[in-house]
Amino acid sequence: MTEETMKLLVEAIVVGDCTQSLDLARNLCDSGISAEEIVVNGIEVAMAQLDEKCTMEQFNLLEIMLTGRAAMEVIKFLFPSGEMVMARKGTVVLAVLEGDVHDIGKNILKMILIASGYQVVDCGKNCPIEKLLDVIEAEKPIAVGLSGLIFPVIPMVKQVKERMQARGIYGPKIMAGGAALKQSSKENLNVDFLAETAFDSVKYLEQLAGGELNE
Amino acid sequence: MNSIERINATLNFEKPDRVPVFPQIFGLAGVMAGVPVDAYVRDGHLLAECQIKAIKKYGYDAVFSVMDTSVEAEAVGGILEYKKDMYPTMKTYAIQDKDMIDHLVLPDPNVAGRMPEMLKAVKRLRREVGDEHLVVGCVMGPLTIASQLMGMETALYLAIDEPGVFIKLLDFCTEIAIKFGLAQIQAGAHLPMIFDPAASPAVVPPQFFREIELPQLQKLCRIFDEAGSLANWLHIAGPTASILPFYPEIGVDIANFDYYVSPQQAVALLPDLCLDGNIKSISFIEDGPEEIAVKSAELLDLFENRGGFILSSGCEISPLSCPENIAAMVNAAKERG
Repeated sequence: MTEETMKLLVEAIVVGDCTQSLDLARNLCDSGISAEEIVVNGIEVAMAQLDEKCTMEQFNLLEIMLTGRAAMEVIKFLFPSGEMVMARKGTVVLAVLEGDVHDIGKNILKMILIASGYQVVDCGKNCPIEKLLDVIEAEKPIAVGLSGLIFPVIPMVKQVKERMQARGIYGPKIMAGGAALKQSSKENLNVDFLAETAFDSVKYLEQLAGGELNE
Repeated sequence: MNSIERINATLNFEKPDRVPVFPQIFGLAGVMAGVPVDAYVRDGHLLAECQIKAIKKYGYDAVFSVMDTSVEAEAVGGILEYKKDMYPTMKTYAIQDKDMIDHLVLPDPNVAGRMPEMLKAVKRLRREVGDEHLVVGCVMGPLTIASQLMGMETALYLAIDEPGVFIKLLDFCTEIAIKFGLAQIQAGAHLPMIFDPAASPAVVPPQFFREIELPQLQKLCRIFDEAGSLANWLHIAGPTASILPFYPEIGVDIANFDYYVSPQQAVALLPDLCLDGNIKSISFIEDGPEEIAVKSAELLDLFENRGGFILSSGCEISPLSCPENIAAMVNAAKERG
């Protein structure tokens, strides 16, 4: 019964049905299933299914937004006081750097990361590099995600690694993505990873956690 | 052949004297003339002067009265932030609450926001180039205007949560595009390009495009046709392979394709339609003239037998681009003959 409900919850999240997702999450809680189990077996499974569905040809913001919104509604229901019990995979700092105010890509990555078990610290859009570095210093993330929709932001992205190192910060990997940045190369942008889609960033983080990318 | 004859021949799959070249130069024309982008997009006379200088220097086939993606939204009441050397960004959306949708007033292109400046640019460009070169105006597609009016996330959630209200908004956006496009044709534009980045399959699935955006674009194209537009040029960037097959039904005459879609794929999907594309925009920033010449030559080779091709970039050539790369692309077409 609970297994079947969990399956339905996964389906409801994938299609982005908020009402149905919340009803099913409530049923699961009433049956004694813990919030953590719902995150791991419901939300994270839904995100994995969406990842499989979203090939490069079929990736579109709208479907991801709807799934992300349903997942976030369930998370809010499970953790009403906002405590991120399920942020067990580490912290990721996200930003759209100064000069770019398009944050839809960053917001989508944020939803996917939270729903996949990461804690996200969001520096917002049009973010000065200094502010980003302060946040990185304070939060000690495993990675920094930079999203960019327009070309003028490229010179800013190129500076981040050097300026992190100038402050003695070497740990966090830098991931980049977004319509403008992904036309370039990771070498040219001086980042560790260049993502075609938001899900690529999640895969990269999983590889990092698995030690596959330790240099 | 002059540019108009060359383009007409290309549209009809006849053999032109050479392949037409449309470097999609907007703010870059300002930069090349020493004019900051923020000034370029606010002054129609300046815009026209910069475009004329650029076409005189490089000798390609079209001048563009194109500012940025927010002209229509600003005319409705959106507040933009202008920063030196940059395209403006939306600071306050015109629609703060969906209840406002019932009370929106259609902007008058002769007085609203920067619309009159754009019309001024069109008039001046047509006066300068006559029928020697193509004068391209620009309207945003309905979905892009809707995204600029209330923010893309809010607009897309509205489309799903309250489709009836969203269609009402989209109808309003189509009316803006019609009125603005017709004013551009009247001012002398040979065609108003329809620029619709929010309709890209990277943003909305193809079913959404077919059911929601297609009827609006169809109406737009039909009205521009009737008003004497030389051709309907639809410009949607990104991975458009899944929506290209709908273009003939929309009434498109020139289909832009970006670097995501291979020329072979574009030809297979649109065997009878004139195509323009598809050098990666960032190549004009990161690569040198030799690479641009090679990429141009590859495209010219591929389309040599088929025809119906305009050499271009997949999207805008950014103001950060290297001007020598424009010359390399234009020369590639001219040398081929």
